[in-house]
Amino acid sequence: MSSSSRLLPREKGAAPLDLVIGVMAFLAALALGASLLAERASVGWRAGLSDRLTVQILVPSAGDVNATLSRETAAVLDVLRATPGIAHATPLSEAEMQSLVEPWLGKGALVAELPLPKLIDAALVPGAGVDLAGLAARLKRAAPDAQLDDHGRWIARLKGLADTIVWSASAILLLIAVATASIVAFATRAGLEAQHDMVQLLHQMGAHAGFIARAFERHYALAALGASAAGAVVAALLFLAAGGLEFAGVEAVPFLPPVALKLDEAAWLAAVPVIATLIAWATARLSVLAAVREIY
Amino acid sequence: MVRFENVGMRYGAGPEVLRDVTFVLEAGSFTFLTGLSGAGKTTLLKLIYLAEPPSRGLITLFGSDMATLRRADFPAIRRRIGVVFQDFRLLPHLSAFDNVALPLRLAGRHEGEYEHDVEELLSWVGLGDRMNAKPATLSGGEQQRIAIARAVVARPDLLIADEPTGNVDPEIGARLIRLFGELNRLGTTVLIATHDRALIESTKAREMRLVDGRLVELRAAVRA
Repeated sequence: MSSSSRLLPREKGAAPLDLVIGVMAFLAALALGASLLAERASVGWRAGLSDRLTVQILVPSAGDVNATLSRETAAVLDVLRATPGIAHATPLSEAEMQSLVEPWLGKGALVAELPLPKLIDAALVPGAGVDLAGLAARLKRAAPDAQLDDHGRWIARLKGLADTIVWSASAILLLIAVATASIVAFATRAGLEAQHDMVQLLHQMGAHAGFIARAFERHYALAALGASAAGAVVAALLFLAAGGLEFAGVEAVPFLPPVALKLDEAAWLAAVPVIATLIAWATARLSVLAAVREIY
Repeated sequence: MVRFENVGMRYGAGPEVLRDVTFVLEAGSFTFLTGLSGAGKTTLLKLIYLAEPPSRGLITLFGSDMATLRRADFPAIRRRIGVVFQDFRLLPHLSAFDNVALPLRLAGRHEGEYEHDVEELLSWVGLGDRMNAKPATLSGGEQQRIAIARAVVARPDLLIADEPTGNVDPEIGARLIRLFGELNRLGTTVLIATHDRALIESTKAREMRLVDGRLVELRAAVRA
C-alpha cells in the first residue's frame, strides 16, 4: 500500500454521481461546440460578405426601360472600375438573374418578360478602405436608379446572431460549471459523512489534513475525470458524426453554419473533462479541509 | 509526560463528567485506570489522546501546554500516542496488515521498510496467518489484537488502551499484557483503562480509580 488513494473504499452507489457528471460534461461539450461553430460561422459570414459590394439598378418607372437600364449599368460599371480599391465589377447575366428569382416566381415565358433590376457584383481589394459614402454619391450622380449595398446591415445582424449564440453558450457553460461544482461538493460532503469514522480515526492518529484531503481529492478527481471524459467523447462523436451526415448528402440549411466540428475544434472539447476534474479536485479538497478543521 | 491540573469536562450543557482531575504520568511509567462504567474513564483517555478539549483546567503533554499549543502542532503530538480504542476502530476495507501499518504510513514510511516489522508483530499477536483478512471476517478478539498491534507498531512514547483485554481469552490477555510490559521496558509510558482485576493484580503497577468523575489514587507503583 503506497498511496493514500487506497485509504478510501470504492463507494457503492457512486454510479448516479458519475452519471450526473457525465451528463453535465456532455451538455457542457455541446454548449462549447455550439459556441465554436457560431464563432467559425460568424468569421466565415463576415469574410464572405465584407469584401463584396452589390449595386442594384432599379427598374425605372417610365421611359424606355431596357435602354435606361443598359445606360445606367454601363455608367455604374465605369464609376466602379474607375474607383481605386475595387478589384473587379461584373453585372449578373440575364440567366443568373432568372435563377435568383426562380425560387420565388418560378420559370417560364411570363417570368422571362418581367422587367428585372440589374445587379452588379463588385469585389473589393481586401483592406483597401474604399470610401463607400463617396462611392454611393458618385454612383447616384452617374445612374439615378442605382443603389449601393455594402451588406453592412446583413453582416451586423449575422454577427449579432453569432455573438448571441457565443454568449448564450458561455452562460450555459458557466451554469454547468457551477452546477457540477455544487454536485461534486455535495457528493464529497456525503462521502465524508459516510467516511466520517475513517476521517476521525486518521485525524486522531496524527494524519495531517492534507493527507486526508489527498485521499478524497484523488478519489473524486479520478471519478470526475472518467465520467466527464465519457460525456465529452459522446458529444465530440456527435459533432463529428454530424459531418458524416453532410457528406452523406443531408443538405445544411442555407446561411446556417454546418453542425460538424473540425478535428482541431473538437480537440477543444478536451477542455471539458480537464476543467471538470479540476472542479472536482478543488471542491473535494476544500470540503475535506473544512470538515477536518471542524474536528478538534 | 502527561500532567493534568484541575481538569474538568462536561459535554455541552450536561453535568461535569470529570471534576478537578489532577495527576501526573511520569515518563516510562505503567498505570491502570479503573472505575465503574460511566465513571469517566473513556472521557479521561479522550482528553489525553486529544480527541476532545477539556472544559477547564490545564493539560500538559510531552512538556507542551495543550491550551497554548498551535493546532498545526497537534498531529505531531498525536503521532507520539498509540491508542487502543474500546471499539477497535479498524478500517473495514483494509486488510489486517494494512490496518496495522497505518501509523507507519502516516509517519511517511514506505511499505518496503516496515513490511517485516508488521508481519512480525501480527505473528506475535497470533494473527500471522490472517494478515490479508478484512476485519469483518475476524472475531472480536482478533480485531482487538489488530487494534493493539496498530497502537504499538510505531513504538509510541505513550500508549493508551481502553479495555484492551475485554474480548480475549485469559491466555491471549496475558500475552498482550506481556507485550505492553515489553513496550514499557523499552521506554513507552503505558496507561490502561480496565475492569479486569486479575490483570491489575498480575502486575505491581500503579492504579488510579475514577469515582463519580473524581480521581482517587488507589495504589502507587510497587517497585520490583
